[in-house]
Amino acid sequence: MKETTVQTDVLVIGGGMAGCFAAVKAREAGRDVVLVDKGYVSKSGETPYAGDTAVFNPAWGHDLDAWLTQVRTVGEYLNDARWTEIVFRDSYERFLDLRAFGVEFLEEDGEPVRLDHPLTQIELPDRDKFPPLVSQVVHWLPGWPAKLRKAVVKSGAKIIDRFVVTELLMEDGRVVGAAGFDVEGNATRVLRAGAVVMSAGGGGFKAVGYPTHELTADGHVMAYRAGCEVTGKEFLSPHHTNPEEPGWPPIYPVFASGHSAAFPGAWHDPEMVNAEGDPVPVRGMAWHGWIDAEWEAHEGRAPVLAAGPPDGKVRPLSGPGGHGSMLGHAAGGIVPVDDTCATHVPGLYAAGDSCGTCFVGAAYSGFGFATMHAAVTGARAGLGAAEYARSADRAAPDARGEAEALERALAPLRRRGGFTPRWTTQVLQNALAPYFVLYIKKEERLRAALTTVEFLRDHVVPKLYARDDHELRLAHETANMVANAEMKLRASLLRTESRGTHYREDFPRRDDPDWLAWVRLKDEGGVMTPFTEPIPEESRPDPALPYAQRYPMRLPGEEAR
Amino acid sequence: MTIAAIDEAVCNGCGICVKHCPIDVIRLDRERKKAVIAYREDCMLCGQCLDCPEDAVRLEPGWGRAYLLGWG
Ligand SMILES: Cc1cc2nc3c(=O)[nH]c(=O)nc-3n(C[C@H](O)[C@H](O)[C@H](O)COP(=O)(O)OP(=O)(O)OC[C@H]3O[C@@H](n4cnc5c(N)ncnc54)[C@H](O)[C@@H]3O)c2cc1C
Ligand code: SF4
Ligand code: SF4
Repeated sequence: MKETTVQTDVLVIGGGMAGCFAAVKAREAGRDVVLVDKGYVSKSGETPYAGDTAVFNPAWGHDLDAWLTQVRTVGEYLNDARWTEIVFRDSYERFLDLRAFGVEFLEEDGEPVRLDHPLTQIELPDRDKFPPLVSQVVHWLPGWPAKLRKAVVKSGAKIIDRFVVTELLMEDGRVVGAAGFDVEGNATRVLRAGAVVMSAGGGGFKAVGYPTHELTADGHVMAYRAGCEVTGKEFLSPHHTNPEEPGWPPIYPVFASGHSAAFPGAWHDPEMVNAEGDPVPVRGMAWHGWIDAEWEAHEGRAPVLAAGPPDGKVRPLSGPGGHGSMLGHAAGGIVPVDDTCATHVPGLYAAGDSCGTCFVGAAYSGFGFATMHAAVTGARAGLGAAEYARSADRAAPDARGEAEALERALAPLRRRGGFTPRWTTQVLQNALAPYFVLYIKKEERLRAALTTVEFLRDHVVPKLYARDDHELRLAHETANMVANAEMKLRASLLRTESRGTHYREDFPRRDDPDWLAWVRLKDEGGVMTPFTEPIPEESRPDPALPYAQRYPMRLPGEEAR
Repeated sequence: MTIAAIDEAVCNGCGICVKHCPIDVIRLDRERKKAVIAYREDCMLCGQCLDCPEDAVRLEPGWGRAYLLGWG
């Protein structure tokens, strides 16, 4: 099999919104850039499906405090207020960049049309108990992702499409590149770099009904293995699907035609009824509707009926849809250590859904925030990596380490038998998909799932085999999903309270004395170790506020105090 | 049944659907210059292959393999 070595100043892994911004900004800073993606830049990842982006701009009448309050209350105080502010403050410049890239926005009289948060248009109970939803979005016109790709090409960055990165190359505790193989043909490549930006998106479990099957937490897992901390794994991004015809109609043409398709139950739908014909009450945080339907199912009142796309017809809905696959919505990922998106491992920067800034906290708090975050962190990581690549001295290449990495990349192809990636993925899905594992959580059920996941990790993953080039990719994705599952279960077990999109049936209340803290995971001598990191003082709620005012939404099993 | 068919009579072999499929379901038969559905069971119904300039790709509801819902 052919083997090549590529040399660059800055290597960007993943070419969604974050990776494209990183590549352009690192080029603007004068560095050589190589951008790799296992799909085709502008067509892969979550980016092509996004219909809008939030832009904070005081000249449009936006008030910073009001925007921050929205995030604090919806995100139940777990947002890192410093990052929330950075993302808001940078967003207008990124919007101007997008325009300079040629992205067109819906406009009236030369000004972009600003749309209010869609939930402000729905009658919902308890609305008056919350501060108003003030954030606004702008809509780009169809075809915009191709403009992102064009901007990267124009910047002089080199794009390598359809290339799967399998691991980061390390030397003296620093990241010095990455290794992987071509999707078609599996030719291997070593990518040596002065600095690396990880922008490989988030991670789900190839859930039925949701087009994010290439997002298998590769970035989170590779960075974790290199020594980074990962955070936010206990939170979810709930999106249901239609159980009769999951994933139908395909999302891309709907979005590309300029419609903002709604997923049934992505937020609370006041028309949603249970099997007895009764309206489904709001239970989850701030009308996100995220365990409303799950709780009805739990109580034996499924099917739950809701109107959904493409025609607004009433149909039953079910999970898992995109559960946990829109990681930007939960802002879980690799922990940044400063505002250049540097990580705990020198030479590695994180951006977009790969980057765990915790800027939204425990629940997604505003439309368009995910792409805004990807653009802002992408630009910052690109500049940070460029500066590191310029100033740090380069290590001499470690030929042996590189050869071993390529061996590991191809190992499933060398095995003559073992376990297939598809079967293993199915076992994993069966352990995680039922609503009572990752949605309505409880210690014994989390432990039961973890037992299966640990067995997959120890016994099955080392024996994954691939019969052709396509399955080699699946084998690596499967291994990463197993690692991501372990992260989600361990983080969920540690957080012995309920908050935002993390609901524990055995701990149905928010527990401020113990849990105004983030859960982080790191590798300690080969053992995945969860620990807590208290949130900074400025992110905490006012302790003088009574509990029921701090948290106006009641969760099942929790009586208001 | 996911990606159901590619109409070989109109496929011009441009390879756009192959590039645009994020999950490597479609491959190009380079000799015949035709796109072929190589890994239908992995199709996630995203619809990106509908970018085909000849309108040769047909998608249908349904999944190519067994799956489990959150409840049912
Ligand atoms: C259907 C849908 C609708 C959405 N709507 C909106 C919206 O309206 N507004 C909004 O703000 N947000 C929206 N989001 C969320 C938003 O799109 C994402 O949060 C954002 O685009 C993430 O950008 P990213 O660059 O971090 O990651 P992605 O766009 O996911 O890109 C990651 C890239 O990394 C590549 N990659 C992954 N692993 C590897 C590997 N091992 N080797 C090489 N490459 C790899 C992938 O192929 C992919 O191209 C939506 C998401 C979805 C799925
Ligand atoms: S995009 Fe259409 S014409 Fe081009 S290879 Fe695919 S099916 Fe054929
Ligand atoms: S619908 Fe999406 S996943 Fe299926 S073949 Fe087309 S591009 Fe690939």
